Amino acid sequence: MNSVEVRGVFVRLGRVQALDDAHIELAGGKATMLAGPNGAGKTTFMKVLLGLVRPDFGSFAADGQAIDIDNEWKQRIGYLPEAVAFSDNLTGRQVLGFFARARGEGRERVAAVLEQVGLGDAQRRTVRGYSRGMRQRLGLGVAILANPDLLILDEPTAGLDQEGLSVLWNVLDQWRAAGRMVLISTHDLALTERRVDDICVLRAGRVVVQGTADELRHAARLAHRVLFDVADDDPKVRLLCDAMTKWGKGRIERKPGRLIVEVAPDSILEVMEIQSGFPETVRGLRVEEPTLDLVYDRLLGAA
Amino acid sequence: MGRVGRALVLHELLERTRDRWVLVISALFALLATGVSLYGRSAEVEVAKLTGPSLVTLTALLVPLVAMVLSHDAIVGERDRNTLGLLLSLPVSRIEVVFAKYLGRALALTASVVVGLGIAMLASDAAGARTLSQLLGPTLLLGLAFLSLGMLISTCSRRQVTAASIVVVTWFLLVFFYDLGLLGLLVITDGAISQDTISILVIANPAGLFRLQMMQVFAGTEVLRDLGMTASLPGGAASALLWSAWLLVPSIGSGILLAREKVT
Repeated sequence: MNSVEVRGVFVRLGRVQALDDAHIELAGGKATMLAGPNGAGKTTFMKVLLGLVRPDFGSFAADGQAIDIDNEWKQRIGYLPEAVAFSDNLTGRQVLGFFARARGEGRERVAAVLEQVGLGDAQRRTVRGYSRGMRQRLGLGVAILANPDLLILDEPTAGLDQEGLSVLWNVLDQWRAAGRMVLISTHDLALTERRVDDICVLRAGRVVVQGTADELRHAARLAHRVLFDVADDDPKVRLLCDAMTKWGKGRIERKPGRLIVEVAPDSILEVMEIQSGFPETVRGLRVEEPTLDLVYDRLLGAA
Repeated sequence: MGRVGRALVLHELLERTRDRWVLVISALFALLATGVSLYGRSAEVEVAKLTGPSLVTLTALLVPLVAMVLSHDAIVGERDRNTLGLLLSLPVSRIEVVFAKYLGRALALTASVVVGLGIAMLASDAAGARTLSQLLGPTLLLGLAFLSLGMLISTCSRRQVTAASIVVVTWFLLVFFYDLGLLGLLVITDGAISQDTISILVIANPAGLFRLQMMQVFAGTEVLRDLGMTASLPGGAASALLWSAWLLVPSIGSGILLAREKVT
């Protein structure tokens, strides 16, 4: 399976329109992030894909062919629920053993997955003694057990320490490298941004925008910050400031050892041209993109 | 049953054998049943007169409790742990999930009852053991009926603590207060309710049906006639129908409710 397309999904939960004409495209070898405030419909969207919530309307296609969310489809999906907690009385190995039997996987695969998620040493301990992060890693192990074509991860970073995050990023890289798909929902945009290829922003059950982080930044039209390293006692810094002011397209800020110009993304080249007239004054420069949180706030605010 | 269902049966059985509450109540049942059996043997009274009826009373009290403790968290426990969605995302129908959970827990219940009564039978003499063996089948039916009821409560509940509370109240109502309630009804209505109606109400409760059937086995039909309860004794087919209804209706209801649920 190389692509999944979901179109026109409507879900009503009681009085709430949880999904309202939602759509998403997933491509092989790519990780897609579902972002949005609480109640935006992220988890509902995932549960529609998992067959846990039947939509009132909606169409589904895999590799361009219409599909039903049935047992054949479920065979190809791995799922990590948010804040998962398994039975306290069983060991990690027993928990994974059950899902392995249910998925038709052998003991070797259980052992390999336990090692992959870093629970090899804790596999004979009951889940009661697991930390939240360890439970989350066990859940990740359950999700990847049968090498699914589509991995659906609901808030996978919650409760994970650095070791757990490394395990998660390795799994994501492995899935992308194998040409499989990952759908991941998170509130931790900064942490996840660099690990995904595509971002789908939801608000009130509707998809506001879907694209790469750069495309979202472009759509948000937020100012970038160009930071110049300068010497405070250099009289030419004043001239550089004047040139920028005369140019008039950016907001200029002076700080010790630094001159900051905030400009629209399509004006950065012009800033570079102006600074090229002061080669000895500017000792170094870098461009700061707006954080994804700001982009996200702008997009949601504009929606 | 498919691969997921079979795996779930084994998983449920394994999980129940590690549940402290189930182990404690099962051990209590085995201990008390053995005590009753040993006392009956030392008193040198006919088994059917002392040990049998005492074990019926004990069984009618404890086996429904074991069964409901076993089943109360079947579905709501998964909901509390946030694993219900994970379980239902496997390639399996929801009806099969309920059936597999019921079956796995029924096996655990069977083991608990067989061990409890088995030890009591071992503690008794040969004649006593034969008499006590007649308890085994009806006791399992009683347990399975309450197991089924526990499954339904578990499916309807949103939180495990709620299910546990409802289970305790249901156990008290059906095992302790039901018969008292019927007596109260007779007193309040000053006998206006017919004996037949009371009899039907007695056997409508699985605990009542169990007690009545066992009373017939150990005390004979004459005692029931003296109590005016002969009219309530269902025949073989009616009895099978009643037990089937108690075993199946709550479980099927549980399956239907889960199948309709949007797992949010």
